[in-house]
Amino acid sequence: MVYYLIICRSLTYAQRTAAALERAGITAHILRAPKVVDQAGCSHAVKVSERRLADALLVLSRVGLSPKRVYVMSSDGSYKEVLL
Amino acid sequence: MIYLDSAATTLQKPPAVVRAASYAMNHLASPGRGGHWPAMQAAETVFACRQEAAELFHADDPEQVVLTFNATHALNLAIKSLVRPGDTVLISSYEHNAVTRPLYALGANIRVAAGPLFHPAAMLDAFEAKLTPEIQCVVCTHVSNVFGYILPIQEIAALCRSCGVPLIVDASQSAGCLPVHLKELGAAFIAMPGHKGLYGPQGTGLLLCNRETVPLLEGGTGSRSADQAMPDFLPDRLEAGTHNVPGAAGLLAGLRFVKAKGLDHILEGERALTIQAARGLSSLPGVTVYAAKNPVCQAGVLSFSLDGMDCEVAGEALGEREIAVRAGLHCAPLAHKAAGTFETGTIRASFSAFNHSAEVGRLVWEVTRLAGRR
Repeated sequence: MVYYLIICRSLTYAQRTAAALERAGITAHILRAPKVVDQAGCSHAVKVSERRLADALLVLSRVGLSPKRVYVMSSDGSYKEVLL
Repeated sequence: MIYLDSAATTLQKPPAVVRAASYAMNHLASPGRGGHWPAMQAAETVFACRQEAAELFHADDPEQVVLTFNATHALNLAIKSLVRPGDTVLISSYEHNAVTRPLYALGANIRVAAGPLFHPAAMLDAFEAKLTPEIQCVVCTHVSNVFGYILPIQEIAALCRSCGVPLIVDASQSAGCLPVHLKELGAAFIAMPGHKGLYGPQGTGLLLCNRETVPLLEGGTGSRSADQAMPDFLPDRLEAGTHNVPGAAGLLAGLRFVKAKGLDHILEGERALTIQAARGLSSLPGVTVYAAKNPVCQAGVLSFSLDGMDCEVAGEALGEREIAVRAGLHCAPLAHKAAGTFETGTIRASFSAFNHSAEVGRLVWEVTRLAGRR
């Protein structure tokens, strides 16, 4: 299954992001960002489904929460940055 | 034991606070230190605590809510973020050592806006007169921890905003019984304990941040681990090391208790007890009571003294009669100097949402017996 990872600068920021998405009816799950996508170490990410990314970005822009970066996880398990 | 020392720590906690802290000790790990359930649940609890505090104190977002060990820790963070050695800082004459000692240690040039007890207009005049262009920061308590005197913080904040001077508010005695509004006050920082009027466990406090901050501690934050500099974002910047998760869980339950009960209701109850105690004690010969003529100037803290009896001896004697009060200078020598009680100290009774009228009646009765014994 393909999904997107919204990389956040901190755990609290990820929690704010997930809360904003959940309030808008978008299922959002917080997890530790894979090391490969964030070399700074110990980042957190919010996972959203493939079909909800556009809505999610719209919601986040409306509430003033800007994602650090967004990655798509492909079916082969690799991550590719999404240019916003 | 009748516990009347809530200005130090509320001893009676809502049962939900005890349950939450206990649950956290048994089930929750460290936020940001793992992706497993105990760590993520801990993260959820800590975030809920920030959210609840942000809502109660009107902060725009939960990242502005920093968890501290107590109000002193929060005040140190605020003061050391804003004040540099040699800066000129204006404070009220009712400040606690948690304000004056960090300023003294920094080598700040401290100026004092002094005014008589329970006279908010005079206090405001003093701030107006002393808020000159060389003042770089103002630190002011919302409520005196010795006398319960409610300072005109809204007006002082407006004055600071009009002069562009950052304000640090010490809400140690007001958080949980008076409105504390970060956005409306426009304060740079508001510091408060979690273990007094918010009914959380000891070892908890909050700093509400509206300005750039400087860490007191450096260390692991569970974020940007490859970087040797502390993160430049809150709350991580000020929260190095493992969180007090049981404390945060208990504090969350305490915040919910305060919200459910209502600030007005809590204040009304504590004020009624203060008035009852003041009336009862004032009627006794040889007892001096420091009470406001206008009750709206006073929260649930009342100081008094007994002629011819050392305040510590009186406090001890009340303790022996199962009434817990605090005597002495209450870590606030400046406030005692302002009120003229520095030489003698006072006995302080302070109330919480768990006290009731019969307990105050017993206090008055025991003081009557003590006063008669001299």
